[in-house]
Formats: sequence, structure tokens, C-alpha cells
Amino acid sequence: MSSLKSMSALHGIVSPGRYGKQDGEPGVVASERRDIGLATIAARKGHEADLTAAVKAAYGAVLPSGPGSAVGPGVRFIGIGPGQWFAVSETLANEALADDLAERLKGLASVADHSSGRAIIRLEGPEVRAVLAKGLALDLDPRVFGDGAAATSTIGHMGALLWRDGEAYDIALFRSVGGSFWGWLRSAAAAFGLEVVTTS
Amino acid sequence: MAGRQTNRLRGHGLVDQGTTVSFRFDGQQLTGHPGDTLASALLANGIRLVGRSFKYHRPRGILTAGSEEPNALVELRQGARREPNTRATTIELYDGLEAASQNRWPSLKADLLSLNQLAAPLLGAGFYYKTFMWPAAFWEKLYEPMIRRAAGLGYPSKQADPDSYEKTNAFCDVLVIGAGPAGLSAALAAAKAGARVILCDEDFALGGRLLSERGDVDGESGAPGRRPRRPNSSPPDCRILRRTTVFGAYDGGVYAAVERVSDHLPVPPEHAPRQRLWRIVAKQAIVCAGAFERPIVFGDNDRPGVMLAGAVRTYVNRFGVAPGQNAVIFADNDAALRTATDLADAGLTVQAIVDPRPQGSAAAEQVAAGTGALYLRGVIEKVRGAHGVRVVGVRDNQGGTRTIKCDLLAISGGWNPALNLTTHLGGKPRWDDSRACLVPGDLPAGMRVAGAAVGEVSTEACLASGEAAGAGAARDCGFSPSAPSRPAPDRQIAPATPVWQVETGRGKAFVDSQNDVAVSDVKLAAREGFRVPDHVKRYTTLGMATDQGKTSNLNGAAILAEATGRYLGAVGSTTFRPPYTPVSIGALAGHHRGTDFRPTRLTPSHRWAEEQGAVFVEVGMWMRALMFPRPEESAQETVNREVANTRAHVGVCDVSTLGKIDVQGTDAAAFLDKVYINGFSKLAVGKARYGLMLREDGFAMDDGTTARLAEDHFYMTTTTANAVRVSQHLEFCQEVLWPELDVQTVSATEQWAQYAVAGPNARAVIAALLDSGQDISNDAFPYMACGTFKICGGVPARLFRLSFSGELAYEIGVPARYGDGLIRAIMDAGAAHGIAPYGTEALGVMRIEKGHAAGPELNGQTTAHDLGLGRMMSKKKDFVGRFLGEREALNEPARAALVGLKPLDPKVRVSAGAHLVPKGADAVAANDQGYVTSQAYSPELKSFVALAMLSNGPARHGEVLKVCDPLRGSETLAEVCSPHFVDPDGERLRV
Amino acid sequence: MRITCPYCGERALDEFTYRGDATVKRPDSLDENTAEAWVDYVYLRDNPAGPHKELWHHGAGCHAWLEVTRDTVTHEILDVAFARKGC
Repeated sequence: MSSLKSMSALHGIVSPGRYGKQDGEPGVVASERRDIGLATIAARKGHEADLTAAVKAAYGAVLPSGPGSAVGPGVRFIGIGPGQWFAVSETLANEALADDLAERLKGLASVADHSSGRAIIRLEGPEVRAVLAKGLALDLDPRVFGDGAAATSTIGHMGALLWRDGEAYDIALFRSVGGSFWGWLRSAAAAFGLEVVTTS
Repeated sequence: MAGRQTNRLRGHGLVDQGTTVSFRFDGQQLTGHPGDTLASALLANGIRLVGRSFKYHRPRGILTAGSEEPNALVELRQGARREPNTRATTIELYDGLEAASQNRWPSLKADLLSLNQLAAPLLGAGFYYKTFMWPAAFWEKLYEPMIRRAAGLGYPSKQADPDSYEKTNAFCDVLVIGAGPAGLSAALAAAKAGARVILCDEDFALGGRLLSERGDVDGESGAPGRRPRRPNSSPPDCRILRRTTVFGAYDGGVYAAVERVSDHLPVPPEHAPRQRLWRIVAKQAIVCAGAFERPIVFGDNDRPGVMLAGAVRTYVNRFGVAPGQNAVIFADNDAALRTATDLADAGLTVQAIVDPRPQGSAAAEQVAAGTGALYLRGVIEKVRGAHGVRVVGVRDNQGGTRTIKCDLLAISGGWNPALNLTTHLGGKPRWDDSRACLVPGDLPAGMRVAGAAVGEVSTEACLASGEAAGAGAARDCGFSPSAPSRPAPDRQIAPATPVWQVETGRGKAFVDSQNDVAVSDVKLAAREGFRVPDHVKRYTTLGMATDQGKTSNLNGAAILAEATGRYLGAVGSTTFRPPYTPVSIGALAGHHRGTDFRPTRLTPSHRWAEEQGAVFVEVGMWMRALMFPRPEESAQETVNREVANTRAHVGVCDVSTLGKIDVQGTDAAAFLDKVYINGFSKLAVGKARYGLMLREDGFAMDDGTTARLAEDHFYMTTTTANAVRVSQHLEFCQEVLWPELDVQTVSATEQWAQYAVAGPNARAVIAALLDSGQDISNDAFPYMACGTFKICGGVPARLFRLSFSGELAYEIGVPARYGDGLIRAIMDAGAAHGIAPYGTEALGVMRIEKGHAAGPELNGQTTAHDLGLGRMMSKKKDFVGRFLGEREALNEPARAALVGLKPLDPKVRVSAGAHLVPKGADAVAANDQGYVTSQAYSPELKSFVALAMLSNGPARHGEVLKVCDPLRGSETLAEVCSPHFVDPDGERLRV
Repeated sequence: MRITCPYCGERALDEFTYRGDATVKRPDSLDENTAEAWVDYVYLRDNPAGPHKELWHHGAGCHAWLEVTRDTVTHEILDVAFARKGC
């Protein structure tokens, strides 16, 4: 057991509780997804098809060719660029996901661990799209951005990868801007009421 | 009698006369009703004089009932919320509103600066270009401040704005701009077809002119008090934004709008912004912005009580206010006759209808008879009444004159389509002879115009053109709208016979009353050779300021056309640009002000640094610890201590902010050979190497160390400031220059918390962190080694034996979630070895002592040769910057190259930025031989030292030069030396 | 202005950064007889009025370098493709 304390990206920045409008149901519910595995995989040149097959065999997901998700048992693969995916896993926590991917996809993809480098914030609630619209110039209308859809863009001038998981929106931010993002979110959601809960 | 709403028409209009709200104007307590504007409430209280004009301080009243108002500008609210130049005609009345008139002293009625009027002959077009030319020095010190005091508008609050603003994005199929008859009809048609619709109107009530006119719509009574029909009871998908002005059209269907969320309230409700800026992306847009009535220009036409005829109807029909009791109507079109009817029906007196049209009008004669007014064929040539119209002088078309007592002069010279948004992307309006107005010309892709904005006149025609546009826009978005329910409008209209100005009057005839531009100014400009409306605008100021000439531009163009003997259609108009109406800077900034101006990046151990009392400095977006001062220490003492402690014992510095890039692939080494001037393919696994990158023009771009973690895996570092730029450059090299290479790069900056542990005791500190069985002795882990280790009970760590300080040093990296834990562990492990943290200031001192180039030396003007790194440039391989970097001129000795400088007096600081000239030479450009890039106090040498770029520098060690800093007024002598002040042979690194 | 990234879809201009002419080709740096070609490549640019192929970087999105065909007179975006061929 390590003697070093592990701290999530928003540790000490965000505390559970109600922010902004106090009465009524909160318009937005926010939580930090902690200790999950995050990694990028980039296809080695000329191995795109082999990589797709290997991911299918190892993780039961077909890598999407565009900005969307493919979900296998335990791992979600999100397209972030040509030949590049962002992998998210709760079962393969922290560094374990990148280690697992590197092992199984050896020679087919370059794998890099980002489990410490991102804050993953989950936003849900009736006003989540109205809140995100204040910082994100993307059309989140469900007819356009359905379940599993994903996009890399900026929220309040901060780089963000966003994907939809059911009715929830997960946002991967650079760890270092966690405080600034929280400031933005608190201000953008104040009129609707923001409830911060912790999960996982 | 003011204060009692003497001019309120009981039972008239859409305001809630059952509820009373209080407000103050120039300190006077007044009342109005919900639904009023400040202008309508002032008029209801019998107040016609509301401001003084910009240049001549002439008394001014209310000309319009909308956002085009040139005159009725007031300071709204008080204290930190005071806002100047707001239009009384658009301010929604609320209980407790405070407003004050502008540009008058000591009071509105007795304004001393109205003496400016006597100097009017001196204040014509371009007066300040002509009058205040000499002597030049007087301009800044005397003329400009004097003019600024005398002229000008209101004053902003100088306190910070206490309210919040926000920005938001929206997407739609069809954006409808304006909710008058055409806009409502367009939104309804598009929404019914299934399109996602956004409908915006600048007013707080929907309906546009429907709110101001009487008449039937679809068989429903048009009596005052009716409500406009909204687009369906539950439209499929139509977002309605009231109090929202679409102020700009941009490329690609992007529109900007500002929503005045809380401007109609004393203070914004909790959590609500004052204003919200919308960026709307619309596949199709329909401009239904209506039209502006234009005045006729005649002598003293700026007197309070002279009002546009359509605005008179608005005040009577919508607000239930009599703008006057005795009216004269002066109009060149029959549409304005409704003003006479509406006034008469409201129980007010219409004294006369003055018709300037040569042919007269049977309809006008009939209305005059029906309203008990005189019908006079002629013109208004004078207006009496300094603080409000009392008498008008009429010259009839037989040459006879007469005066008529009245307190309201309703004028109309026809209507101009509000086509501003159609020209923001460069569209040129087209002159329509039969309508006598400019109509929209070529439209940007995805834009339509409907209703009065395209020149339609009747309500029926506006409804029909809106419906057609709404259906068409929906069709272009892929929907199938139903067939139109309204017949296409009959576009046959009687040709207009516009009367632009009355020549016979003697008083000053204003074209643009906001800027006090008179007919004489436009004619003067024409005589002086100005022929283009945009040039006349700059010369005379016609059409400038808050209203941008909405009621004056075309009149100005017509007068210019006449003065230059040209056809008005050929003269054109000024160019409209965003914003349509003024937009507050707060709305444009939104959330991003103060400390939220831009995002801040914090390292994983930021809180630990705060606990140590660190002082931070912004580098890029990062907050880095500059130094860790102890109580009673000066900044210099802190830095000296941190440097000395590191050199004597051990120090730790957070280097997590350095750019880190993960480079993988079978061609990763070959790729690095391309981007660095030196080779990496022969670098052994487990070793790191310093590398320099050039731009393709041969100048240095960035430097850093790159470690080889595996045959096909490298870990590159960049400077903190250039991390993004280097990433982008590598992607360019991968995708555009050498797409055939198998290499993948991704930023790893955020993943790793990294600390430099430097000093003679560094190994002991690192060794204490390692899990057992791992060896970092000098043999096992020599200088420039790298490797993966387990520390503190199994935490994976990357260890690099690198040194920026010149001491025995390591950089240790762990996944960022352990960063806070690691710095605390390092401090604990180092306690026995005398560890202390050091900041970027001490880091900077140590690198200067070692002669390492950094940002000030990698300044975009230096080459590898200049930096003393020319020998690193490989002769054998291709790399970015190779060809042009080898240019003779970039390698000749005379170029300024890196040297050290030691002041002859060690206690004298050498300024960075100072220039080097030969000893005894004058500090002039001709003698310039180089410049100081970095300077510091070296605790080791007990002397100030500096790095400099000096012509032929490496050959001049020992020479004494003069260091000149004319900016700060210092000159000192310094000796040129090697830039390696401390441990020049690097022995400390390798122990 | 909006640019339709072939990977991400239509995005606002502020997600992209401009580099310049996409038609220039990097000469061989090991061939000593390319001095003029290098000067052309690094310093000389045409400034056409009308359609122009330009390199843009989608830095706030997929990080791809794009070849954008833009009408410099009207700002109309006529075509967007990956700069890396065969992508």
C-alpha cells in the first residue's frame, strides 16, 4: 500500500452541497467520476484494421470512425480524432486501463495513460443543456447529439471532451483547469440551482 | 403640471393604468404605469425637454418611440450602476427608476454651455481639423480637453460594475429577427412546418407596429388594448426572446444578440445576469426589423415637441399618452394621416395638416375635414419655443405665411426599411425609386427579408411576406411547409414623392440632431469636395454615435445628392456595421472578467505551495511558485537563500508545468531527428538528451530534453510557455511534412506531476523515496539517465537525471493524483538533508549562473549559432530549419552571440534590455553591438551577472563594454566573459 | 465564420488557427541547389483574391491539420479536407 495519498482532480476544490438557487429541484446535478481508467490509443501506421479487430476481440467494442462512442463490457471507446480514441473504464481503474491496453494492443497502437491528467465531471438534470450552452458552442439538441455522441471542443475557453451517456453528459477536462471550470460551472448553473454529489 | 400624468389618456393604450409606479427624472418624483417606457412616462407627465445636444447644447426632446432615438439620451441609475447615453424611448419603466438628463450645466433648463450656439459659425463640419491646428502642442493639453468637456454625452460610472453578465450559444433552423406582423407571421409559418425557430425582438412586448396602429388583423378588432397574436398557442419549437436585439450578422449564419435580462428591474434578481449575449447559429434567418420613419429637415426642426408622426401614434395608441394637446401634422405621405385620425379620436386637437407635396392629396384633404383640421398646401419654415414647440410658421405654396399655435408638430418624410443587418456582410442596399427608399440588395446566403424591412407598407402585405419568408426558410431547411394562407401582397403602390428638406427656413436645420449636423454642414462638405456618404460621415460626424444615423443617413445622402447635382440612387448610403444598437462591454465579456478573465492552470501541488506561503507568477495560463518567502525576508534575500540552499544542500522545484509530449511509434526516433537539430536515433534506451528545435527559417523555436523510455517510446519536454505551440508544430510535421512516418504524439503534461530535486544531497533524498532494491548510484544511474521506478510503496515514477541548476539533480514524475503526496514526501525525506523549496526566480538565477538559454534568449531572433549551440546542428540529416539555418549570414561571427557579463562593480545591477556599446562610445544606435537578455544576482559569485547577445561575442571575453539603458537612465561598465559563471566544466552534475 | 471539420463537423472559427498557404511544398534540405525554392517556401506567398487553399489547425477539436479552400473575397468555405492524405 502506497504511502502517497491519491487525490482526484477536484479534491479540495469542489465540496458536495447545493449551490446557486436554493429552492426547488436542482436544475443540474454534478459529480466527479474518480479513480477511473483513462487512456488514449492511437493507431500505428498501417495497423488501423488490425487495431479495430484487436479491440473488438479484447474489449467487445467496434472502434467508431468518427466522434462517437463504442461501449464494450467495462470500457468505452470515444473517437477524438482520425485514428485516435479516448478509452474510459471503471473496472480498469486508474493506471490499470493504460497498462491493459498497452499489453493487449502492443504493436498496433500507441497507448498513453491519462487517468491522472483529466477531471471527469458528470452533469445531469433538466437544465444541463442550458448550462452547457453558456460555455459550449455545440448543438446539444437530442435530435443532433444523441446517446453516445461525443465531441472535443471548449467549455468556457477550456479544452473539453464531452460525451453523452444516457441522459448524462460526461466531461473530460485537463486536470489543471479543474478550479477554473468549477468557477465557470457554479456561475453558469446558479440560476437553475446546482447540486454537487459524489459518486464512485 | 408635471408629476400628475396630466397627459395620460385614460382608458387608452396597453399600459396597466390600474397600477402606478414611481420614478425620478433629474430629481423630480414622477409616476407612470407598467408597460410605459421612460419616454412615454415623461410625456405623460408633460415633460418634453429631456436633454441638451452634443455640440450646441440645444434643448432636445423626444423624436421617436424606438431604438433609433437620436435625442432623448439619459443617464440611467446611480452609483456603480449608472449608465450614460441610454435611450429614454427604450427604457422600460420600473418602480424606483432614476434617470438624469445629460450634457447640461448647471441644469437642463439653464444650460450655460448653450452659449456654444453663438459660436456655431466656428463649429461647422470638420471644425476641429481646421480651428485647432496650431500650435500642435496645444491639441493634447488644451484644445482636446476643452472640447471634451464642452461636448460629449453622459458620463459612465467609474466604479466596477456590480452586476454579472453571461454569454450563451443557440442553434436553430430559422432565426426570425423582429416580432412585428411580418416576424410573427414568419415564425409561425416556419415553426408550423417543423423548423426549430428562434424569434427575437428588441422590445419588451411582441407585435412591433401592431402595438402602435389601430386596424383589424384577420377580422380581430384593432382597438387599442388588443394583444398581438402570438405564433400559435403551443408552437412546435419556437423560442421567443423578448428584450433581445440581434445586433450583428456574421459569416456562416452566425448572429449575435444581446438580451436585456434585468435592465427593466432596479437590480438583477439573485443569480440572474443583467444582460446575456447570444451567439445564434441559424441555418436560415429572416430579417423582419421593420422600418424607421424619417424626418423632414427644416429650420429649428430639433425643438422638443417635434416628433415623428408614427411615434405620435405609438404614444397615443400603445402608451395612452398625449405627446401634445394641439398638433400640427407635416407629412409628405398619406400613411401619416392616421396620426391625425388617432389624435382626434383620442380627443386631442389637430390644428392643421401641412402637405408639402406639389400635387397635394385628396385623402389628406378628406382627413383634415374629418378631424377639424386646416389643410394647408405648403411647408413648415420655422418653429418657435426654446423648451418646446409653441408656434409653427407655415409658408403655403402661394408664398403666403401664417403662424399656428401648437405644442406638437408631427412630421413624416416616409419610411426607410431597417435593412442594417442585410449589409453587415458587405451587401449593398438598392435604391427603390417608387418607394423612395433604400431596400435590401444582394443578401448573404441563408438570409431573407420580409415586411416593412423590405419596403412593404400595409399590415396585410407584411403578414403575407412574413408567411412566405417563413415557409421558404423552412423549406430550405428541409421541411415541407403547408401552402400559404394569405394571398401574395399587391405590390402596386402609389409612387412616393419624398420631400427631404425645406429650403426657405432661417433657423438651423438639423439633419442629424444627435451630432448637431445641419444642412449647412453637409453642403459645406460637398463644397469642400466630399462626395461619398461614408466620407461625409467622417468629416461631418453625420450618422455617428449611439443611433448611427438611423433617422438621418438618408436625408443626409439626399442633401448631398442635391448639393452635388447627382441622382440620389447613385449616391448610395453609408455602410452599416455591427452593432445595430450599442452593446455594453460587460455583455461581450460575460463570465470572463476579473480573475475569470481566462482560465488558470494549477499544478497538482498548488495547495501545498500556498501552504508554504509561495508567491505565484503567471506563466502562460499556469500559476507557478515564484519564490517561498519567509517572514521578514526581502525578495532578494529569499531568492539568494533558495539558490544558496540548493547549491549547498538540496532544493525542490515544481516543474509540472513544463510541456510534456509522449512520442511513440516505430519511426519515433526518425521523427525526432527531423524536429531537433541534433540526432536522437542513436540515443540509448534509458537515456535523455538536450535538444533544440528551429523554425524552418533557421531561428530557434524551443528547447528541452527528450528521454528514450523504449525503442519506440520517447518522452519530450518543452518550455512551459511554448508547450501548445510545440504540440501544434509536431502535429504539422507528422501530418503535413512526413505523413509516411509511423509516429503518434499526445500531450502528457497533465498526467505527470514532476519535481526537480537539485543539490549535493539530491541523491540521498531520492534514494529515501525509492522502494527497496532499486539502485540510483552514479554508476547505475549516471548523468542523463532515465528510468521507471517504484516509490513510496509501489507508486510508479519516472526518474530523469537532468539538471537545469547545474547541481547534481533529478526530475521525478508521478501520476498527477500523487503530486501533492509526492511533494510532501520529498520534503519529509529531505528534512534531514536541509531541503527547501525554490521557485522560478531561484531557478532563473541558477540557469543564468550556468549560462543556459531560456525564454529571453530564445526570443525568435536567435539562431543555434547565436546561442552557442551551432555545433549541435547535424550535417548529415534533414531537419526543420536545416537549410535556411545554414545560411552564411546566420552563422557569421559578427552576429550577436551569447556571452556572460560581469559588471566591474559587482553591486551594480545590469538591466535586461540594456544595449552594449564600446567603452567610451556614445549610446547611439550606430554604436550598438548587442543587448542584455537576462540578469540576476549570483550568490555564488557575490556579484550581479548577466547574459547578453553580443556581436562576435565568444571572441571578446575579457573586453570591457558600456552597458546603456537609456530607458531607465543608467550606464555601467561590464566585462564580457563566458556565460558559464558557475562550475563551467559541469563537474557537479556528474558526481 | 464556421468551418466544417471533416472529423468533428461544423465548428466555430475560434476553434481553429490559421497557418497559411497549403499549396507550398517543402524542398529537400539535403539538396544544396534548393536555395531559391527554400526562400519561396518560407518567405514568399501569393495573395489571391478568390479561392485559396489554406492550412488550418483544429486545435480545440481533433487536432487535425486541415486543408481549407476558402474564397478570400467572400470568406465562403468551399471545401475542407484532412491535410494528411488518405486519412
